[in-house]
Amino acid sequence: MSHLTVSDVTLSFGGLNALSKVNMTIEPGLITSIIGPNGAGKTSILNCISGFYHPTQGEILYGDTPLTHCSPHEVSNMGIARAFQNLELFSGLSVLDNLLLARHQNLKYSFLQALFFYGKASRMEAENRAYVEHVIDFMELEPHRKSLVGNLSYGVQKKVEVARALTLAPEILLLDEPMAGMNLEEKEDIVRFVIDIQQERNTTVVLVEHDLGVVMDISDRIYVLDFGQVIGSGTPEAVAADPKVIEAYIGEGS
Amino acid sequence: MSSNQWLATGNFFTAYKQEQRTFFTHLDRSVFSLFLALLLIWPMVFPLSNKYMLVIDSTLIAIVAVMGLNLVTGFAGLISIGHAAFVGVGAYTVAALCRVLGDSHGLVTHFWPIVILAGGLVGAVFGAVVGLPALRLKHLYLAIATLSFQMIFEWTINFMTFFNQGQTIFVGRVFWFTGKVMRREHYQFWYYVTLVVIILSGFGIRNLMKTRYGRCLIAVRDNDRAADAMGMHPGFTKVYAFALAGFMAGMAGALHAYLYRGVGFESFTLHHSISYLAMAIVGGLGTLNGSFWGPVAIQFLELQVEHFSGFAGEYLPSSMNLATALRPLTFGLVIVLFLMFEPRGIANWWRIVKSYTKKWPFRY
Repeated sequence: MSHLTVSDVTLSFGGLNALSKVNMTIEPGLITSIIGPNGAGKTSILNCISGFYHPTQGEILYGDTPLTHCSPHEVSNMGIARAFQNLELFSGLSVLDNLLLARHQNLKYSFLQALFFYGKASRMEAENRAYVEHVIDFMELEPHRKSLVGNLSYGVQKKVEVARALTLAPEILLLDEPMAGMNLEEKEDIVRFVIDIQQERNTTVVLVEHDLGVVMDISDRIYVLDFGQVIGSGTPEAVAADPKVIEAYIGEGS
Repeated sequence: MSSNQWLATGNFFTAYKQEQRTFFTHLDRSVFSLFLALLLIWPMVFPLSNKYMLVIDSTLIAIVAVMGLNLVTGFAGLISIGHAAFVGVGAYTVAALCRVLGDSHGLVTHFWPIVILAGGLVGAVFGAVVGLPALRLKHLYLAIATLSFQMIFEWTINFMTFFNQGQTIFVGRVFWFTGKVMRREHYQFWYYVTLVVIILSGFGIRNLMKTRYGRCLIAVRDNDRAADAMGMHPGFTKVYAFALAGFMAGMAGALHAYLYRGVGFESFTLHHSISYLAMAIVGGLGTLNGSFWGPVAIQFLELQVEHFSGFAGEYLPSSMNLATALRPLTFGLVIVLFLMFEPRGIANWWRIVKSYTKKWPFRY
């Protein structure tokens, strides 16, 4: 397990700086949260890490490997998985197939073996099916295993989204607002899953979330972004007491 | 597995391997085998005249081509309006061999299975090259790129003296173990060959869809951003989809060349590309059995239209050519009606029938 270091990352679209000189260190084994008002650049930083955007300046290192110019599939093969904020599932496939798709890189057999579905192809499909079943079990998706993802409710789809990222067997899991638009019960479920993912599967979690109650409860480290800049960081207690953060959230003079 | 392997009820899986089977019950398997046996036996029991056999053969060849189109347009979601050109590439592979070696060279007449495969491979190469714009283009723009290939193909063939400027290039009669395949058995012979090609590629595609090489197609169709995040290269997958489609189309083209014993450019025009697309839509995009329903339905419709205009022509002034007017009209109407009322195609009717018969005679 290695550190993910974001150093001096600037991302500009034309004249607009979505991120300016952002520095972060994501320590292994911890839950790190990124919070901030709307448009602060939270999703942009996740997009930079997962390779959808390439920073204009600065560097992103995973251990010693630079991620700055990697494309998303290269990043995911290094063990950094991503769950999207707006559902980006394969809606025409069943939950099972969605998760099996995430095993793409672990299924190593030749095209001919696939064509005749013999030997390695059949064996590896069965092995990976077992792995997927393990994740389904973990995320409590058993009742929905065979149903088409497009027909499931929003809350379940969100769970599938997290499960799919988890199926990649990542070392770092980037969760982009996994609790947005959910009711209290579903939120508590997801929080439980996030904690389980960190503790049982020993996975580093990077969480972008708006619900401050949740964030303060479960995070080990918090980074606060505003207008593309890091305005505060540290443990939840330290961040909650930081005058700059209070100013960004509640306004001046409070 | 439980003791009753004949029925779908009370039939539980105890290993993941069991769930990978193509046929889940003995009933499915035996019904399918019976159907295959019927397909193989009927031409011997009720021999049809060459005229009708030709119609059936060309329908089967269209099935091979539409299977390819369904891979790229149905499963991978990339609209291709140049599919007839890929079929043409396969046919002109055979034509090129005939031009270089002579139309009765041993390679063409004795080793025709290899030539058919070669047609497929050349089609795949062209498919991959034409698919290269998919690395950057999406949706309608990609469709225009494939359309441009169709145009380039027609123009190239029309201006190349090597290919007789699109005029027919003859292909020799092939040999089987029994000797030269003569006119009497020619159409029946190619019926069997095409059927074998369909069965093999049908099983092949079915197997592919259960593995990473098939699932990645659906992934780029549904969401290529997420496919990227899941560790597959979306651009490469699209090029691969085009190559697969090109392979099937190329085989169809080579079969076409052998069946008609000649290659001329007028069988591979834009009109044919559109009708392949129509067959795929009517059959059901993104389903394997849709590739069988579509060509059969369209071919049947065309026969009916011809039949009807022949009948109505007796009562109309001879200056009116009903068939030429009716064909595009009904054709367009059927596509529009399917897109409006049954976008999932005939394959969806098949699904409904299957789920109904599964429970019959019980309601639920």
